[in-house]
Amino acid sequence: MDKDIEYRFLTHAGFRKFISCLIDGFVVYGTIKKDGFPAFGPITDSKDLVLARTPTHLSAKEFFFPQREALLEFDMASGSHSPIVESRDQVVIGAHPCDLAGLGLMDRVFSTGSTDVNYLARRERTLIIGADCMPDDYCFCESLGTETIDKGFDLFLTEIKSGLLVSIGSEKGEAILSKYTKPLPPKDVHLRESAKALEKKKRSFKARLSAPKEELPGIYAKSDAHPVWEKIGAICYGCGSCNNVCPTCYCFDVKDEVTPDLSGGERVRVWDGCTLEEFAKVAGDHNFRRSRADRLRHRFNRKFRYLSDKFNSLFCVGCGRCSRTCLVKINITEVTNELIRDARTEDEYLGVPAAARKG
Amino acid sequence: MSIKPKAAFFSFTCCEGCQLMILSCEKELPSILEHIEIVNFREAMTERSEDYQAAFIEGSVSKREEIKKLKKIREKAKVVVALGACSAIGGLNCLKNRFQMDYLRKEVYGQDGLKFKAFETIPARPIDSIIHVDYYIHGCPIPKKEFLSVLTSLLMGSVPRIVNHPVCVDCKIAGNICVFEKGLTCLGPITRAGCDAVCITYGCVCWGCRGPVDDPNTAAHKETLLRHGLSADDVSLALSLYGAHKTKTTSKN
Repeated sequence: MDKDIEYRFLTHAGFRKFISCLIDGFVVYGTIKKDGFPAFGPITDSKDLVLARTPTHLSAKEFFFPQREALLEFDMASGSHSPIVESRDQVVIGAHPCDLAGLGLMDRVFSTGSTDVNYLARRERTLIIGADCMPDDYCFCESLGTETIDKGFDLFLTEIKSGLLVSIGSEKGEAILSKYTKPLPPKDVHLRESAKALEKKKRSFKARLSAPKEELPGIYAKSDAHPVWEKIGAICYGCGSCNNVCPTCYCFDVKDEVTPDLSGGERVRVWDGCTLEEFAKVAGDHNFRRSRADRLRHRFNRKFRYLSDKFNSLFCVGCGRCSRTCLVKINITEVTNELIRDARTEDEYLGVPAAARKG
Repeated sequence: MSIKPKAAFFSFTCCEGCQLMILSCEKELPSILEHIEIVNFREAMTERSEDYQAAFIEGSVSKREEIKKLKKIREKAKVVVALGACSAIGGLNCLKNRFQMDYLRKEVYGQDGLKFKAFETIPARPIDSIIHVDYYIHGCPIPKKEFLSVLTSLLMGSVPRIVNHPVCVDCKIAGNICVFEKGLTCLGPITRAGCDAVCITYGCVCWGCRGPVDDPNTAAHKETLLRHGLSADDVSLALSLYGAHKTKTTSKN
């Protein structure tokens, strides 16, 4: 257990009461069962909340960077326009460590350069309650060091037999917990149980990367001509599902929607994805990445190389959503491991000693 | 006050559901009529005129006289917009192309159907197999939202944005669980979106009414469908419900 983090203990009943109080005071979103699958959805009754062990269908990014949002409204007669910045006090419950890590990366993207007021306004007014998880066949966060997290949440829940161990992540989180409940200090047995759960989680990963994360940008840098891109490009639909389910894909398209009376309208942004055919299409129908292979290579490089050049951090958090959602089974760990294997073989061929390899 | 552009709406072989969708834009129609004059609209008015700049055409071509009529419309109109699946991709009507005419006559009109030739038809086809189409509004029926968006774009002098990504995008954005995960199959991964994935959102699957995206990976999708338990015949049937014109399935009867 992290020594710097303070913990509280809630009974199951106490936790349900806490959720009910949150529902009374805020717009609450959390993990639910949708058609039997874990997903985020509105929580209007504490019974709606089902803490998910495995990743949700979409990540938690939609609560900060929604699928569609108006950025400004315009009036064509006067030529005037005014910004639209929508936000409200909301609570998001059940985001796993990978999602919290993803949000941390989104924070950097949207606050670097020209800051994104819409994203930041939502971020400011959201209370985040994370929750612990167990890996499924696709989760590989442990390979990227995001299987645990000590920041990026207000409260963090670990389910144990007798109730919930709550990690305090912020003053805001502590204040709201104390306001609505009477949390107890955890007993040693609670902390031991939580530590055991973490051990079990770490042992449970089936998907793993076969190189340390620090080596990945270098490995990708020498894999532009790797045959894997053509191989997966041949089966890819270019359907953008990997982009849309990804907690760190932040690209969007902007368009103007004019009212039928042509008096004005709204400028909206909607999620976009680099695997879609139109993404890199420009005037004259020229397309910088016409083939699906080129688009996939671009996306993978965005996760493991291009953005790490810019932000000094990998932009994959290992949630495995892209692999899980892919109908043709393009798998991010398998593809990356193929690149790792061949990059190493190449180093051996060139006689570079293992210790001197940059990856 | 400038002269309003004149728009004409035409029906070919179809259920006329797309015209009905336009009529159901009740809230928007008064605003629209401030900017255009409608001179032909069979479902809503008696008057006819041959003076128009924009032609909105629903329905596929399935009779010889329709070819002539269509060419005449193209001559008169500066802009031709295909309305809905029948017009844009051939639609359900093209299912009949898979069968011999005599078989269909008997099936539809009974034994007497073989005796007379009053309903002489040709293989059904989308209108762009006869004339040039400037813009397409897809769907069975068309979504109101898309009609309004194309219309306002044309009135603003900008190029209408026709969606060219698969239904999977709209489906993920709608937050739906993938139908394949639920043990069903659909045509979403190769079908043009713009429909907000309404069919899936309301518990159905995608049948491909909006036709394929510009560059569909049909080979990959056939593999996916086979992997999810469909037979080769099932796959062919699924693809030909709305795509019979493109799939060109050989006649069985």
